[in-house]
Amino acid sequence: MKNVKRTKLILSLIPLLFTLFFLSRPVYAETKEFKVGMEAGYPPFNWTQVDNSNGAVKIEGSKQYANGYDVQIAKIIAKKLNRKIVVVKTVWDGLSPALTSGKIDAIIAGMSPTPERKKTVDFSKPYLVSKAVMIVRRDSRYAKAQSIQDFKGAKITSQLSTFLYDLIPQINGVKQETAMNDFNAMRSALQSGVIDGYVAQEPEGISVQNAINSLKMVKFAPGKGFKTDSSDDASAVGLKKNSPDLEKINQILAEISPKQREKLMKWAVTHQPQSHEKKTNWFINIFQKYGSLLWQGTLTTLWISLFSTIVGFFIGLVIGIIRTVPLSKSPAKRLGQKIINGFFWIYIEIFRGTPMMVQAAIFYYGLAQAFKISVNKMAAALLIVSINTGAYMAEILRGGIESVDPGQREGAMALGMSHFQLMRKVILPQAIKNSLPAVGNEFVINIKDTSVLSIISVTELFFNGQTIAGQTYQFFQSFFVISIIYLFLTFTITRILKFIERKMAGPKNYNLMANQIQV
Amino acid sequence: MNQEIFKINNLKKSFGTHQVLKDISFKVEKEEIISIIGSSGSGKSTLLRCLNLLETPTSGQITYLGQDILKPKFDINHYRAKVGMVFQSFNLFNNLSVLNNCIIPQETVLKRDHETAKNNAIQNLQSIGMSQFLEAKPSQLSGGQKQRVAIARAVSMNPDVLLFDEPTSALDPEMVDEVLNAMKKLAEIGLTMIIVSHEMQFVKDISHEILFMDNGIILEHGSPYQIFEHPKEKRTKDFLKRFLKNV
Ligand SMILES: Nc1ncnc2c1ncn2[C@@H]1O[C@H](COP(=O)(O)OP(=O)(O)OP(=O)(O)O)[C@@H](O)[C@H]1O
Ligand SMILES: [Mg+2]
Repeated sequence: MKNVKRTKLILSLIPLLFTLFFLSRPVYAETKEFKVGMEAGYPPFNWTQVDNSNGAVKIEGSKQYANGYDVQIAKIIAKKLNRKIVVVKTVWDGLSPALTSGKIDAIIAGMSPTPERKKTVDFSKPYLVSKAVMIVRRDSRYAKAQSIQDFKGAKITSQLSTFLYDLIPQINGVKQETAMNDFNAMRSALQSGVIDGYVAQEPEGISVQNAINSLKMVKFAPGKGFKTDSSDDASAVGLKKNSPDLEKINQILAEISPKQREKLMKWAVTHQPQSHEKKTNWFINIFQKYGSLLWQGTLTTLWISLFSTIVGFFIGLVIGIIRTVPLSKSPAKRLGQKIINGFFWIYIEIFRGTPMMVQAAIFYYGLAQAFKISVNKMAAALLIVSINTGAYMAEILRGGIESVDPGQREGAMALGMSHFQLMRKVILPQAIKNSLPAVGNEFVINIKDTSVLSIISVTELFFNGQTIAGQTYQFFQSFFVISIIYLFLTFTITRILKFIERKMAGPKNYNLMANQIQV
Repeated sequence: MNQEIFKINNLKKSFGTHQVLKDISFKVEKEEIISIIGSSGSGKSTLLRCLNLLETPTSGQITYLGQDILKPKFDINHYRAKVGMVFQSFNLFNNLSVLNNCIIPQETVLKRDHETAKNNAIQNLQSIGMSQFLEAKPSQLSGGQKQRVAIARAVSMNPDVLLFDEPTSALDPEMVDEVLNAMKKLAEIGLTMIIVSHEMQFVKDISHEILFMDNGIILEHGSPYQIFEHPKEKRTKDFLKRFLKNV
């Protein structure tokens, strides 16, 4: 009977694990759907928009839509394959893992079939071939460059993990800068003079000229430009190794004429999202145009933080209770206790000692690749933040438990109360009350730290902010709005928690009970 | 002869290499009141804590109503409910009201229903004059009041024996008597008690047997008359002389 309470406590965690388990599901080949992975943030190849205009396709698990050259190509392929197209918005570095782990059926994301990638991914014939160009400021001395060698001494960069970045050393005496995550970052770096130019492909060149007056694309005549492997200039459909779809897709692509492709690219360049609304106030404009995106991001952020704080609290509570069980007299039990406590110690050290961003990436991509289980993004986010918070909560609650003076524990023991009885009735009520400020603080920290979940493309507030920034090219403005929302959330919640703390402190006085004794 | 409650045989306790209890043997009979006196560090608290199993003896035997309390599968919590302890530092539950301090242990350990536990608690609080403070939290009470609540809490468990470890040492002088009076009441109803105290007059008045502890052994024991009027050992005489001078 003594152990019933303890077992109950542990059992109560099981439903949680089950929920998370069922939210995840085994990978199997969908026969009806054609799941295409792309960044949806790389115009004119692919971008995100808030409505379904111009033949856009709904993004899986969100209220947004994807469109662009890649999306149109993907639609053609899906139609001829007789399958339903589904766009899965995925960060660039997540595309290959998503494919190999079966989260998507194909990558159509302006990806080049490099030998490196071919090791893990099979590629179709190219659906687009475009030369490498240089984007520069219109007013800079590089605007009139003819050859890549004219960029001697210039500060040049390109996108991280693309072949474009590896082309830069072909320029003699160039100052190769650190690679950047996306074109939006490069555009603003170029505008602000941090770099003198960046290497891109022609479609990006066309779109940047359309979008930003002060920037210009420099094309190179044959022999004057970058020497490239033909596989680098091309964009092709990435498929899982030995995919049965490969033959079919090559056939479909062969049926799209060069003229049709050119037309499609021009269409994409002219229809890609740009910030035309210069007349209205940018602040109001962002709220008007992207209000739903901001609202949805805010809700997601709040939900993940709240859920994870609560679950993390219970994880910390259980660990706190188990870790403070006095060591048993029987050597076998004592060894068991030491092993369990050692396990908790490792858990706490690992999760407090590594960045949550890395934990999320390892869990989401690593698990899928290693064990072929695909976890739904949201479930992965909830799980990771919960476990991470649990590690901090375990320490917070241990501190709370240890802050209750040991005399009360002895007093309870001397009355015959068991560890779990005295924990529940005496120590924990005080420990939790003492820890409440720190627990609330964890909630506030979670609201801010969930932003790192953008690594696994969870559409929380920061991720949506990135999307808005990418669409509008208004980096400062977008992130300014995002930071205001964060500040509003943390400020309001801090106030609410203070209020609750004051309530919990209880009344300072008591009434003498002279007349109320009934024996 | 009365029923034997405790029998302690060759009890030893060390903390690391420091041997605090060297070779302790004595018996406690039902309704007996035994007081332990001795200078600071002689091992009085350690002895009481061994009896309550808050410390595990290094060697020796302790039997309670004939059963060995040091055997591996002994039900410690059930035993502790029968052998209560009152501490120098009160050890009340700060999150609970006075009344709940006395109710919760009865409910959780003895599985008494709420009404029974409550009535019992109120009765015990009333008999030590704390019935006005049922809803107060420990932090709102004086030291003497806290100790009286601690006594009521221990008595509410209907123990066979109560152990007192210097119950008045943390109190201001004017509060000492209210606690000693509460203990005298318990003596009158025949509760078995083992008391560690420096209140010599009280010890002399209330005890049936006095143990004088010195450096981990019981140097001398006897009736209050023997110990206080005709101590045999020089160290007992010195202790009493020093003590009575200080009072
Ligand atoms: N948990 C412990 N670890 C190590 N040494 C201890 C421990 N508890 C007590 N001691 C030591 O045992 C000796 C006896 O302590 P104990 O508290 O039993 O003395 P006491 O007779 O109750 O003294 P006092 O009158 O001051 O309360 C002291 O020297 C003390 O330092
Ligand atoms: Mg002591």
